[in-house]
Amino acid sequence: MREQSMRKLAPLAVAIAACLFGAPTLADSSDSARVGDLQYGNALDPSGWAPLLWADPRGFSWLHSGMMRTPSGVLYPYPPQRDDADLHKSGDWNWWGLLQLGYLHVGGDADAEFFRRYAGWKSGAALGLFALYAENPQTGQYVEFRGSRLSGDDQYYRLRAGQYGKYKIEAFYRDIPHVVSTNAYPLWNGAGGTNLTLPAPLVPGGSTPAEVAAVEQARPRQSIGTTRTRGGLSIESVLYKNWIGYASVSNENRNGTQLWGGSMFFNYSLPNNGGILETVRPVNFTTTDVSLGLRNVGAVWQFNAVYTGSFFRDHKDELDYQSPFQLRNVAGVPAADIYQGQFSLEPDNDYHNLRLELSRSLKWNGQLSLAAAWGTMRQNDALKPPVNCTGIGGIFISPQADYTFNCADWNTTAALSRQTANARIDTGLLDAKITLRPTPKFGWHAGLRWYREDNKTNYLAFNPLTGQYGYIAENGAQGSIVPGELGIFDPRNPLYWSYVTQVRSIPFEYADTILDTGIDWRVSDDNSLDLTYSFDRNQPKHRERTLVNEQRLELAWVDRAIGKGTLRFSYEFAYRDGGPYRADPYQAFYSTALPGFVTPALGNVAFTTDAMRKYDLSNRIENKLRAIVIYPLGDTATLSGVVYATRDNYGGAVGRQATRNQGISLDWDWQPSSLVSVSANLGREDSRLKFSNVADFENLPGQVGRDDPSLGGPLYPFSNLWSGDDRERDYNAGVTLRRDLGHARVDFSYNYTYALGRFGFAFAGPDALSSFQQPFIDLIGTAFPDNHYHINTLQLGLDFTLTQTLGMRVFDLYETGNFSDWHYLGLQTDPVLLHKVYTDRGPQPHYGANVLGVMLNVKL
Amino acid sequence: MIALTFATMALQTCSVVAAAPPFDDVRGQLPVRGDAARGAAKAAACAACHGAQGIAIAPTFPNLAGQSPTYLYVQLRAFKDGARDNAVMKPMASALSDQDMLDIASHFASLPGKTGSATATGDSRGRTLFHEGDPAKGIPPCQGCHGADGRGPRPAPASNAPQPAWSTFPALAGQNAIYVAEQLKAFREGTRLGTSNDKVMQSVARNLDDADMQALATYIATQ
Repeated sequence: MREQSMRKLAPLAVAIAACLFGAPTLADSSDSARVGDLQYGNALDPSGWAPLLWADPRGFSWLHSGMMRTPSGVLYPYPPQRDDADLHKSGDWNWWGLLQLGYLHVGGDADAEFFRRYAGWKSGAALGLFALYAENPQTGQYVEFRGSRLSGDDQYYRLRAGQYGKYKIEAFYRDIPHVVSTNAYPLWNGAGGTNLTLPAPLVPGGSTPAEVAAVEQARPRQSIGTTRTRGGLSIESVLYKNWIGYASVSNENRNGTQLWGGSMFFNYSLPNNGGILETVRPVNFTTTDVSLGLRNVGAVWQFNAVYTGSFFRDHKDELDYQSPFQLRNVAGVPAADIYQGQFSLEPDNDYHNLRLELSRSLKWNGQLSLAAAWGTMRQNDALKPPVNCTGIGGIFISPQADYTFNCADWNTTAALSRQTANARIDTGLLDAKITLRPTPKFGWHAGLRWYREDNKTNYLAFNPLTGQYGYIAENGAQGSIVPGELGIFDPRNPLYWSYVTQVRSIPFEYADTILDTGIDWRVSDDNSLDLTYSFDRNQPKHRERTLVNEQRLELAWVDRAIGKGTLRFSYEFAYRDGGPYRADPYQAFYSTALPGFVTPALGNVAFTTDAMRKYDLSNRIENKLRAIVIYPLGDTATLSGVVYATRDNYGGAVGRQATRNQGISLDWDWQPSSLVSVSANLGREDSRLKFSNVADFENLPGQVGRDDPSLGGPLYPFSNLWSGDDRERDYNAGVTLRRDLGHARVDFSYNYTYALGRFGFAFAGPDALSSFQQPFIDLIGTAFPDNHYHINTLQLGLDFTLTQTLGMRVFDLYETGNFSDWHYLGLQTDPVLLHKVYTDRGPQPHYGANVLGVMLNVKL
Repeated sequence: MIALTFATMALQTCSVVAAAPPFDDVRGQLPVRGDAARGAAKAAACAACHGAQGIAIAPTFPNLAGQSPTYLYVQLRAFKDGARDNAVMKPMASALSDQDMLDIASHFASLPGKTGSATATGDSRGRTLFHEGDPAKGIPPCQGCHGADGRGPRPAPASNAPQPAWSTFPALAGQNAIYVAEQLKAFREGTRLGTSNDKVMQSVARNLDDADMQALATYIATQ
């Protein structure tokens, strides 16, 4: 009876709520023609609507004054206030608008990177919000615009228009900053471009660490980061009866810089050699996405066909840099003058996908859904020469041991087996789902999904100029330091005919089939159970396993009989195993598979230990547990708690061993009236990753047993085992308060986050360390220093009305942070260590930054 | 100059602000009870239009007999404070004290309500709207709030969800068709919009056309 009564009332309540409070104006519903983001907001106003969200004391419904709760018991917030006086009429159109404009003053350590990470704070004028909405109730037409601007790097604007039941159009433009570091001191001139050159008086390949350090100390501070600039347009329209067409195009430019590498081989074992350089690369990408679709939604049949395309363009396709340090070969006559490095950056690529979906309603409240898709990913950029050095590289020891190479044979595209990449991966998808619900209390579902990636890429690293295979390592630096480690295989030359190196691209691909079935059973009015079983059969190619099976059982229980509260409990168990594991499945793509390869008398050095299990293919047992309790406290408050834990245990003596993740959170919300809302939250999460590894016995490569991959064998003795234990613990706490005083409103929020990182390690013996590390084993200890990250954010705001159409907001945001991270220890004062040069000196250990804002609100 | 402009704007804005019309939020209204016997003595003037036994003398006036006392009290209060505009009822209600209104409401509630004329047809449009609504036009069924038999809501046992002020919802069965149709139009056109219940009815009536209103009024009168 109760249910019946409420069912009658529900549509009325929804209709009334929608009519009275203009729900469409603040709704962000998803649809197939959407472009841009689901959520628009920024650091000034994460919600994107704050100036409009004055709670309406009339509540959510004219039927009752109490606030409704979600089915699980969470209180809905009070709806935003819409006064009829704010609504203007112009002919058949009704419209309202709001402009929030003001001034921000950013003070303190305004350049602290965590303060700026995703926020383009800037002193000066700021547009808090410009919102405009117009609708024509006679025709169902509407137009909605909203925008906000903190600075040129942080702004958004969105326009939506349409006619209900006929068409809709959406357009957007957005800039989002992503600052990685504000404490970077690139050594090179040209940071942000494709050619990094050393500033005077540094000499490429001829400078000492002291000279580099002196120059580095005088380099100007820079920020590293990117700005994403995006725009898009979409349209969806009824074409004929139930046939709806839709199309969208969006474009994203990512511009800026990114911290990058620049190895010139070896520095750790040979402190005065090579170089380890932290360079800066340019980021200048464009991604254009398009979609074109047609769908039909009938009472029995539903159909959807859609083409999607994505086109990535990298406008900076290489990075050249100079190393200040000289290479010193470990034997023989110095022959090389290699100081330049080059990276080939991401290639342009195209993606096309065509998807067809068909769905039909069945008896027993059932639904059958079928989907098929075909896609292809392609890139065919012009390939770059293997090196850009000039002169002679490598090492000359004797005429019989001449490890030199002529850069001219490799610094031209004539040294390539092919001029363009011709890379291609095709994808296929078949998906079928069926659901049946013969009674309101019982439902059954099943699905079968098949997906395949077919990698057609096949590149052979062969130099027709020299008849050699492989790729010159590190622009020739490696082979110019250690004889023979040039990176090439040559079946005609005894110096290189036993050299093991990759000569072909590995076309990683796989087929994945997932079968699942399950039931949902409403045991009683207050209890329901869901049980699902799935079987995932993954068949990768050119991997350590060619068959991986995972079975998963999921149980969910919802109970509404615990007082007025709701308990949601779920548990998952998964077991993964598969076919035989081969530690080295890549032989076919290495020089060992080429004609003329001469296997040394001692055999090839083992690729890795056969005890290694890569984590995505190894056996695994997984347990997941989650419990959520939502408990109403009276009519105006809610207490909710979440407890969760995940345990993964992996097979194999070497590789990932286990991951642990557990957390708890408590939330309390109280809204005694539309004038007051208070909330508090507290949370803690722990995560842990345990792994083990084994160091190869460094003295063995020239001895018998070097081809033995077994753990405990001569190359991988048990005494060389080591393990890592990476733990992180995060705390968060927050309080928010909003008090409406009629013509004024006060808001207060405080948030605290603390992340503690601990990385410990253990060694079975000294040989687990490299020989040059072994003298420092006592200093190395058993753990890195702990990492601590504290951030406190306090905000206080006051809104008050001046007239019916004018209001003002004054707010202050204060943020402090304290950090201690061993990754950056010492870099603040000494970013040049031997032949290692660091650009990023790390986050400011202590900062305090403040934003004071005065904003004027104008109801238009 | 800027300050002066703002000040001028503020003054201009203030000068056009009109006093908000009276509005009675009855969502928190509890059921009321007065003294029916005393109410009978105070209701003499009412009989001129609504009849001595609460059955109106003309179909343009509402029957009051058997009506919810809380509904009647709320309406009298609305006439008095101006939330419901009626040139005849305004002066009548203005002379009543709160206790008078409670007593009169109880008096009419205690009288036997009018039964329908028993001509309700089996499948009329009015019957369909009353019992099932018209989802395609966004019209909810009347019975959800006024009871399946039109004699007022029969609230289910309280759930966790907030409940409407059921006692403020009127019984409809047997009400005069002309009066009902007029009120539905008043809701639709916004001329009866002074209470929170009127807001509810406005959102219902805005989807009713004249023919639907007439069909409903006819069906209700015959209930």
